Amino acid sequence: MAQVTLERVRIKGLVCCVPKASVGNLDCPPEKRSERERLVRNIGISRRRICYPWQYFSDLAQAAAERVLEAVGWSKDEIDALIVVTQSPDYPIPSTAIILQDRMKLPVTTIAYDINLGCSGYPFGIYTVGSMLSSGGIRKALLLVGDKCASLNDPLFSDCGTATALEFDPSAAPIHFDMNSDGSGYRAIILPVGGHREPTEIRHLIPHKNADGDMKRDADLILDGTAVLNFSTQRVPPALRSLCDYAKTPIESVDYVVLHQANRMINETIRKKLQLAPEKVPSTLYDFGNTSSASVPLTMTVCLRDKLTAGPATVLMSGFGIGLSWGSCIVRTEGIVMPELVEM
Amino acid sequence: MSTAHPPTEAELKSFVEQFVVAVDFQNAVPVAGDTKLADLPEWDSLAALGVIVMCDTDYGVTITGNDLKECATVGDILGKVLAKRAH
Repeated sequence: MAQVTLERVRIKGLVCCVPKASVGNLDCPPEKRSERERLVRNIGISRRRICYPWQYFSDLAQAAAERVLEAVGWSKDEIDALIVVTQSPDYPIPSTAIILQDRMKLPVTTIAYDINLGCSGYPFGIYTVGSMLSSGGIRKALLLVGDKCASLNDPLFSDCGTATALEFDPSAAPIHFDMNSDGSGYRAIILPVGGHREPTEIRHLIPHKNADGDMKRDADLILDGTAVLNFSTQRVPPALRSLCDYAKTPIESVDYVVLHQANRMINETIRKKLQLAPEKVPSTLYDFGNTSSASVPLTMTVCLRDKLTAGPATVLMSGFGIGLSWGSCIVRTEGIVMPELVEM
Repeated sequence: MSTAHPPTEAELKSFVEQFVVAVDFQNAVPVAGDTKLADLPEWDSLAALGVIVMCDTDYGVTITGNDLKECATVGDILGKVLAKRAH
């Protein structure tokens, strides 16, 4: 069972960056208004950020990284590792992290590579970078997490890039993790075409009517909504209880539970199962939609920035989704630097 | 182990009320136990999510998308819920 504690790792700073451009789920012809209001009411998502045609995830992440370096006062020469968690790389290969090492003028001694995870990615990213730092072998690292996943048609997804600065610090409080994977559900969220098993062919790019009457291409993302709902609401609450037991931190003593922002139905069901008060479980769904792996740090920035920078707090973060994969961690934040949301 | 029983009238009435809330109809439509799901204007993927959440939170039962595909009527869903709860 992957329940692990990392010592001597501090989350020093966090910055999130979203595109200035947004799209509203209620932006529709008048005859569709009632149907769209029902959708917004149930998924809890009104507006989403969407990259301009010339903008990519790596641009958002780089802007966030430059800002966090400035905010924590680190020089680029000090960075030992740059780890990117994304499913929106600039190219299928090579790793976006390595491209960013050069674009950001980080030293060639930087460890840089990508991790292919979506909505569950933030706790896994903290674990990976934290594991590198915990031994003291390296001292300062950047974790860039997020995706460019918004489209005009899909009502769920929204774009965001985030940068977290982590450092080796013997006085830091331990971080406790619970991490899980279940590949039997890999078809629940899948881009089925474009890999080696099913290379893209012209026929995959031709839209056709699917069982729901929507025009889809074989090359589009498939999301089995009911399977994702069942997975999230069945797997996440016991995992969070188990992590709290492992960390000897009763959930009542946690100040904030920051869940991946999937949709309102999923998040509310998890919250109710854990019997948590709404004020303890902040949400950015309404204004920012589902920002994939960036949703946990984005929600911390948008909803908790004043509170987390005012004094120490215990935060339970949980990501879950594509894979299927679900991971959570309990972090005692202290002295975290969190500048305002960057919009570009 | 208890076994599933046919729903009582009160159980069915209560379930239909919860079903109507879960589907979130834009305009009121008459719904009864023998209402065919395919005849309902809003029986879509959003409605399915709402019904699954309702079965989970109100009945403590996990209904899947495949379970719903096997149901023709509103009453069939309650039948699934009672059968699963009996196990």
